[in-house]
Amino acid sequence: MIARIGADTRALPVLALVVIVFGIVAAGNPTFAQAGTYAAIYAIAAIGLSLLMGNVNQISIGQAGFFGLGAYAVAYGTTSWTLPPALSWPLAAALGVAAAALAGLAVGFIALRFRGHYLAVATLAFGLICVGVFHESALLGGAIGIQNVPYPQFGPLTISGYPAYWFAWAFAALAALVSINLLRGRSGRAFETIRNDELAAEVLGIPTRRYKIVAFAYAGALAGLAGAIYAAFLGIVVPDAVSVQLSITLLLMVVLGGSGSVSGALIGAALLAIIDISGNQFENSREVAYGVLVIAVVIAAPGGIFGLIRARINAPAAPRRSSSPPAEPHAAIAPPANGRAPLAVSGVTKRFGGLVAVNDVSFTLERGTLTSLIGPNGAGKTTLFNAIGGIGDLTAGSVTIAGVDVTGQQPHRIAALGVGRTFQNARLFGEMTVLENVLAGTFRRRDPERIAVERAYATLERLELAPLANTLARDLAFGDRRRVELARAIAADPWLLLVDEPAAGLNASERDRLQRDLLALRDDGMTLLLIEHDMRLVMAISERVMVLKFGTLIADGPPENVRNDPGVVAAYLGTAVPGTATA
Amino acid sequence: MLQLLVAGLTVGSGYALVALGIHIVLRATRIINFAQGEFTIVGGLLALTFVEVFRANTWVALAGATIAGFVLGLAFERIVLRPAARSGEMALTIATIGMVSILLYGHALVPGWGSLPQPLPAFTGDVSDALDLAGVSIQIQSLWVLALLLLALAVLYVFFERTYYGKAIRAAANDPVGARLIGIDVTNARSVSVGLAIALAAYGGTIIGPITLVGGAGGVVIAIKGFVAAIIGGLESPAGCVLGGLLVGVIEKLIQGLPGVSYGISDPIVYALLLVGLLVRPQGLIGARGAVRD
Repeated sequence: MIARIGADTRALPVLALVVIVFGIVAAGNPTFAQAGTYAAIYAIAAIGLSLLMGNVNQISIGQAGFFGLGAYAVAYGTTSWTLPPALSWPLAAALGVAAAALAGLAVGFIALRFRGHYLAVATLAFGLICVGVFHESALLGGAIGIQNVPYPQFGPLTISGYPAYWFAWAFAALAALVSINLLRGRSGRAFETIRNDELAAEVLGIPTRRYKIVAFAYAGALAGLAGAIYAAFLGIVVPDAVSVQLSITLLLMVVLGGSGSVSGALIGAALLAIIDISGNQFENSREVAYGVLVIAVVIAAPGGIFGLIRARINAPAAPRRSSSPPAEPHAAIAPPANGRAPLAVSGVTKRFGGLVAVNDVSFTLERGTLTSLIGPNGAGKTTLFNAIGGIGDLTAGSVTIAGVDVTGQQPHRIAALGVGRTFQNARLFGEMTVLENVLAGTFRRRDPERIAVERAYATLERLELAPLANTLARDLAFGDRRRVELARAIAADPWLLLVDEPAAGLNASERDRLQRDLLALRDDGMTLLLIEHDMRLVMAISERVMVLKFGTLIADGPPENVRNDPGVVAAYLGTAVPGTATA
Repeated sequence: MLQLLVAGLTVGSGYALVALGIHIVLRATRIINFAQGEFTIVGGLLALTFVEVFRANTWVALAGATIAGFVLGLAFERIVLRPAARSGEMALTIATIGMVSILLYGHALVPGWGSLPQPLPAFTGDVSDALDLAGVSIQIQSLWVLALLLLALAVLYVFFERTYYGKAIRAAANDPVGARLIGIDVTNARSVSVGLAIALAAYGGTIIGPITLVGGAGGVVIAIKGFVAAIIGGLESPAGCVLGGLLVGVIEKLIQGLPGVSYGISDPIVYALLLVGLLVRPQGLIGARGAVRD
C-alpha cells in the first residue's frame, strides 16, 4: 500500500511538470489547449472512479450520470438565475457537486447490499435513468439540451479557451491532492485493507461499508465537478454527451492508466483526451479501438500503464520510528471501564437451514482469564466465535460485551469496544507489509500517525517480529503469518481477544513461543478465549476449558476436571458399545 | 388493453431471451455479460445479411443467425473471456464492457449494416398483417414471436434437463471442481455455454426483428432491460428470467399506453424498477433467499 501510494506521490510532481510545460506550449495552439482541457476534465472524474475501482473493488458504469448532474446544474443555474457572473458558476457548480455526491451516497447505499455484479448493473441503471430524465425534462431542454451556457467570469477574467486549461487543471490538481490524502495514513490503510480482505478489516474495527459508500459519494462528487467544468467550457450540454459511452470511456481511462492510483487516472485521462481529439474524423472506429484496447489491457497488463511504471519506481522507505522514546510504552491492558464481565453469552443459537451449529450456549468470562473452547471438528466453535464477533445473524440468544448488548451489531462496532480476533486461516492483508498489517490493527485507536507507527513497532518487537516489518504479508512463512496476525489483533490493546486455532500447523518451538505470548497477554490483564485442538497447549495454559459437541456445551470447568469428564472422553474417543467392551 | 398486453409480451420475449442469455453466461462464468444486448443487435443484423446477401427467407435467416451467433459466442469466449478470466472477475466484467464498445460502434462499420435500424422481412405474409380477435387487432408477427420464444424454451429445457451434455454443462457451472473430478471438461462446457448464450441472443434479435427492426444503437437499452428482467424474475432462475422479461415488456407497454405519458419516460421508469427490485426483493420473484446478499 505504501508502495502503491508512494509511487504515486513520486510520479505526481513529474506529471504536474508535464501539465505545466504542455500548458505553456499550448498557449498558441487552440487544439492543444482544448485537448489539454478535456484531459483535465476527464482526469477529475477518473481520479474518483479510480479510487472506487482500485481501492474498494467496485465497478461503476454510471459515472456519466453523476457527470450529467454537475453539467446540468451548471447549465441550468447559469442560464436561468439572475446572479452576478462571479457567483453563478461557483454556486451552480457547488450545487451540482453536492447533488452528485448525494446521488453517489444513494447508489452506494443501494448497490452495496449486493455482490459485485449487481452493483455494476445498478450503476448502469442509474446512468441510464439520469440520461432518460435529462432527455424527457422540458426544464432541461429535452433532447436538444441547454445551449449558450455562459463562461465562468471572475472580475475581468473570463474562463474560456486558453484560461480554461489552467482553470480545469487547478481543479484536477485539487482532486489529486485530496485523493492522495485519502489514500495515505489511517484512511488509506483502511481502504487498502478493504481491497485485501473485507472481513479481516471489519474485525479490526474498520467500518468497511461506510468506507465503500464514502468512496461512491467521492467518485460521484468528482464526476459532478468534472461535469460542472465541462458545461462551462463547452457552453452546451446535451443528453447524448452524458450517455453510457462516457461512462465506458471513463472506465477505460482508469483501466488503461491503472486503477487505484491517482497518477494512473491522470495518465489514462490524458491519453484518451489526445486520442479523442486526434481521432475525431474516425468516429465509430475510435470507439471500437477503445473497446479492443480495454480488453487488451485487462488481459495483458491488468495494472494498466502506471502498473508497469510503478514496478520501476523504487519503493519508498517505510515509515520510521521517531527517535524520541515511546510516547506510550506497552501499558497493562485497561479493563472495560465499568468493571462488568468482558463477555457474557446467553442462550446463543445459530441455525443454518436445518442444521443447528450452535445450540443454546451460555457462559460468562472473568476478566484476565484464559479460557479454551475445545470440541471435535464441526462442533460449532468457529461459528460461536463468529456469533460473538457479529459475523452473521444469531438465530436466538444474546451477546453482552462489558455490559453492552452487542447482539446483531456489525463486526466493526464490536471490535471498536475493544475486542480482537484472529482467524483459523490467518487472514492477513497479503499486499501490505507486516508493519502495515499491524498499523491497520491500530485503526480503532485513532492515534496520530507518529504514535500509531510507534505502537505498531512496539507490538512487533514484543512478538519479536521487528525484522520482518517490511516483508509483504503474502511472502511470510506459515508460522510467521500466525504471529503477525496475533500482532495485528493485539496492536490496539484489546481487552478481550478471541483466538481461533493459533497452534494449528506450528512446529514445537513456535508452539512454545505461542504459549509464552498468550500467557504474557493474560498477565497483562487481557481476557482470552481460545479455540484449540492441541490438548497439551490447552491443558497447560487454560484456567478453564469449555467443550462443545454438536453445538452444545457439554462440559465447562478447570482443565483437570474436563479431562476426566466421561462425556468429554466419549465425545473425543467415542463410547464402547455395551457388551463388547470387556475382553 | 389486450393489444397492449400482446405488444408487451412481444417485446418482452426479446427481453426474456436476453435475460436467459445473461443467466447462462452468469452460471458459466460467474460474471454478468454486459454485451448480451449488443450481441442481440448483431444477431438481428446477421439475419439481415442472410436475407440480403443470400436471398434467404426469414426462417432460414433465423437458423443461419443462430448458428453464426453460436460460433461468435465460441470466439468471444476463446478470444476475450478466457484470457481475461486470468486477471480476475472484475477484469472479466470490464472485458464485457469493452465488448459493448466494440459491437455498439463496430456494427456501424460493417458494409450493409450501418448505424440506422433496418426492417427484417416478416416470417409470414406482411409485417402489418393482423388478426382480428373480438375487435382487437393482433399482429400475426407477435404470435410468431411468442411461438418462437416457446420453441426456444422447449429446446433449452430438453437440452439442459434431458441430455447428458446439457446436464454436464449444468454440473460444470454449479461446481467446477466437482465436475472436473468426475471427468467433465469444464473449459469446454464454459465455452459451449457462452456459445449458447450468444446463439440465444442472435435468435432473440432475429425473432423480434420484423417488428422492432434490426441494428441501431439500442443494444445497451436491450441489455439493461434484460438485466431488469433477470433481476425482477430472479437472476439465478431460468423461469424467473423468462417471466421477468415478459413482465418488463408488458409494464413498458402499459406505461406507454397511459394517456398523457411521454413515450420516452417509460425507460427510466423501467430502470428505476430495477433499483427498487434490488432493494425490495434481491433474489427476484423466483429465486432462493440468501442467494444474492453477501
